[in-house]
Amino acid sequence: METNFILAGFGGQGILLAGTVLANAFMLEGKNVTWYPCYGAEMRGGTVNCEVVVSDTEVSSVHKQDTDYALVLNQQSFDRFVQRVKKGGTIIANSTLVAESKPRNDINYVFAPMGDIANSLGTSKVTNVVSLGVLSSVCNIVSKEYLAKGVEKVLGEKKKDLLPLNEKALANGFDALLTKV
Amino acid sequence: MADKSNEKVLIKGNYAIAQAAINAGCQCYFGYPITPQTEIGEYLSGKMQELGRAYVCAESELGAINMVMGAVSTGVKAMTSSSSCAVSLMQEALSYASSDELPVVLVNVMRTGPGLGYIYPAQGDYNQAVYGGGNGDYKLIVLAPSTVQECVDLTYRAFYLAQKYRNPTMILADGLLGQMMEPASFGEYPYPEVDVSSWALTGAKGRDARKIYSVATDEKKQIQHIYDLHKKFEVIAENETTYEEFNTEDADIVLVAFGSMTRNIKAAMNVLRAKGKKVGCFRPVTLSPFPYKALKSLADKGKDLVVVEMNMGQMLKDVKYAVEGKVNVSFVSRPCGEWLSVEEIVDAVEDIMVSNTSKSIQPGSVKEVSYAAARA
Amino acid sequence: MQQQELKEGVNIGVNAGEKGMVQVFSIPKSMKENFRYTFCPGCDHGIAIRLVAEVIDELGIREDIISSTSVGCAVFLYDFLEVDCVEAPHGRALASATGVKRARPDKVVFTYSGDGDFASIGLAESMHTALRGEKVTSFCINNTTYGMTGGQLGPTTMMGQVTTTSPTGRNKEYFGYPIKVAEHIALCDGTAYSARVALDSVPHINEAKKAIKKAFQVQLDGLGFGFVEILSSCPTNWHMTPEEAHERVRNEMIKVFPLGVFKDVSA
Repeated sequence: METNFILAGFGGQGILLAGTVLANAFMLEGKNVTWYPCYGAEMRGGTVNCEVVVSDTEVSSVHKQDTDYALVLNQQSFDRFVQRVKKGGTIIANSTLVAESKPRNDINYVFAPMGDIANSLGTSKVTNVVSLGVLSSVCNIVSKEYLAKGVEKVLGEKKKDLLPLNEKALANGFDALLTKV
Repeated sequence: MADKSNEKVLIKGNYAIAQAAINAGCQCYFGYPITPQTEIGEYLSGKMQELGRAYVCAESELGAINMVMGAVSTGVKAMTSSSSCAVSLMQEALSYASSDELPVVLVNVMRTGPGLGYIYPAQGDYNQAVYGGGNGDYKLIVLAPSTVQECVDLTYRAFYLAQKYRNPTMILADGLLGQMMEPASFGEYPYPEVDVSSWALTGAKGRDARKIYSVATDEKKQIQHIYDLHKKFEVIAENETTYEEFNTEDADIVLVAFGSMTRNIKAAMNVLRAKGKKVGCFRPVTLSPFPYKALKSLADKGKDLVVVEMNMGQMLKDVKYAVEGKVNVSFVSRPCGEWLSVEEIVDAVEDIMVSNTSKSIQPGSVKEVSYAAARA
Repeated sequence: MQQQELKEGVNIGVNAGEKGMVQVFSIPKSMKENFRYTFCPGCDHGIAIRLVAEVIDELGIREDIISSTSVGCAVFLYDFLEVDCVEAPHGRALASATGVKRARPDKVVFTYSGDGDFASIGLAESMHTALRGEKVTSFCINNTTYGMTGGQLGPTTMMGQVTTTSPTGRNKEYFGYPIKVAEHIALCDGTAYSARVALDSVPHINEAKKAIKKAFQVQLDGLGFGFVEILSSCPTNWHMTPEEAHERVRNEMIKVFPLGVFKDVSA
């Protein structure tokens, strides 16, 4: 059983870091996982994305055209990656920056004001971690507990002081939706 | 982050190679930036300084590989890393290093070519790595990792083999492997230290001066030297050829790939097995020496082969050579870019099982260009 | 007895064995015992290599030497010096030397190349080694032509000079200009010493030896890159007698390539 995630947003929104936290969470949970970024000239176009694949067995393709879940933090990424969600898959969007439209009717949509939630914590910089909380609330294989461990691992000793803020961001993201899709 | 512990860390292939080089005792790194391997130099620039080892931003790839040759001639471990079109610049030095028997370690994180090409992942350097672009009769040892863990393991092995056989050794990775992160653990460098005291240049103190050179003005000596190099490589082939096989015992058809494409053929095999098709996988770990014997024994058992590569059929030729025309060898490929997906491979193999034709799969679709049946 | 009175390390102190006689000239210890130069008659490589060997003896560094040399007539240094040597491809001597020195900072590393090797195919490696201030010593033989391949136009070929590839002489429109190597190397911040010397006369040879010694000394003192450009004759490719060739060095080359020290941070 293999599940794919694409995380996308503006450069500076912490997309690659969010993917790293997600991949670390899966690793700490003992699963096979890969993380693969867009790289090179593509990065200079303004949008950044990375793919995370989690699997019970060795991960096959680390880079795929279609995805089970797309987590998008800006409109440009929504417009691009909504086309790459598998039939029956889910796109989870930051409604602070993304208009709530549904261009396809064969996928699920989740909109949450991730930017606003982050701002209410005092900084938009944690939008990426809020988004992981939202993802965890709609995707059963993403464990909130392991995400917290992933955040801790990625922050490391040097940035330990940021841990409480990020834990709060994760929790508020998780609670952003009252019902699962 | 990464160290010598056995704890798993999530790490990029490029960083894994760099840290493994440190653990292997690499004393000097010389490099010039090129995507998609630049992280190797970036990682080492700081670490080598911290450790009191050498790091030089070389003026060019020519400079870098020749600095490695100078450094390893003194008996220390040293390496450079680069990518496809810039590895081409190093071919002259690799030919020299082979003749000089210098234990150069070179990492090639492939991108697409020919020419400048671009940074898309590809596997178009099989020929460059295995058959070389340098002059004369020589062979490199070429190791092709398929996972980030193997980036660690095969970097360790590269340093060991290079010194054990005094032969330039290449780690042939690709952009996908260099850029992706995956859990890997390092552990201690698992090989013994090779005694280099009989040949290393350390100054002619209490012994005759040593000369390491390939210039050969004596014809007889040169003939003998080439024979000796050839014999050495036969020993390497005998001792060091490694490969992996999965489910080949009962297989009717065996998929063959190298490097990170191995992951995709294994997944395709699992899908095809679930559909009741008797499919196995074969993967050379050492591209040079190439596992001719193992592939021949599959052919002897009548198993048809499907070679899957991100190039236009480079390893394919070695596979065909190995099976001596005994079985069908088909080919599934895309020249570069989007890695062939598991679904594309499954579709292609199912078609081949019916029609025995090769496929070149175009990006974004499964439009096919059929070749005549690739009967070896 | 007389032997002991003579300065240690200077190779004029070997007793010739005959009573009352002292040998005042012999092969430097850093040279092989039995060799014959394979250079053309009248070629200055032999003098240059001997000077390098004498300096190595005098500094007492033979056992610490690792030399990187590359392609051209200069490659035959291997055959004459009793020091460790590693080969580099054409033009890459300085890259190789950088690798050696970085791997073994305690060793004394030098290169010995022709002008084609140092200043044409290897100019990038040479100049960047100077810019990095690598603590290595480098000698460049300037004979205004590619000697080994039979006298073609090279980076130092003088204006008007006839070679096999400039049959009507070097002119600016067609071939451009020669490089003044020692001046260029002196401009590099990592250079500790850069000089140009000649081998056409005894006084010049004595000056050359001093410069060669200095170029090693700045390495030993950890000051940076030490460089000497050595103006040399190539009678064969110049189609001259050895004497005529030295006159050309004296009367023509030195005018274009002036002798002197262009940088010396220890001065």
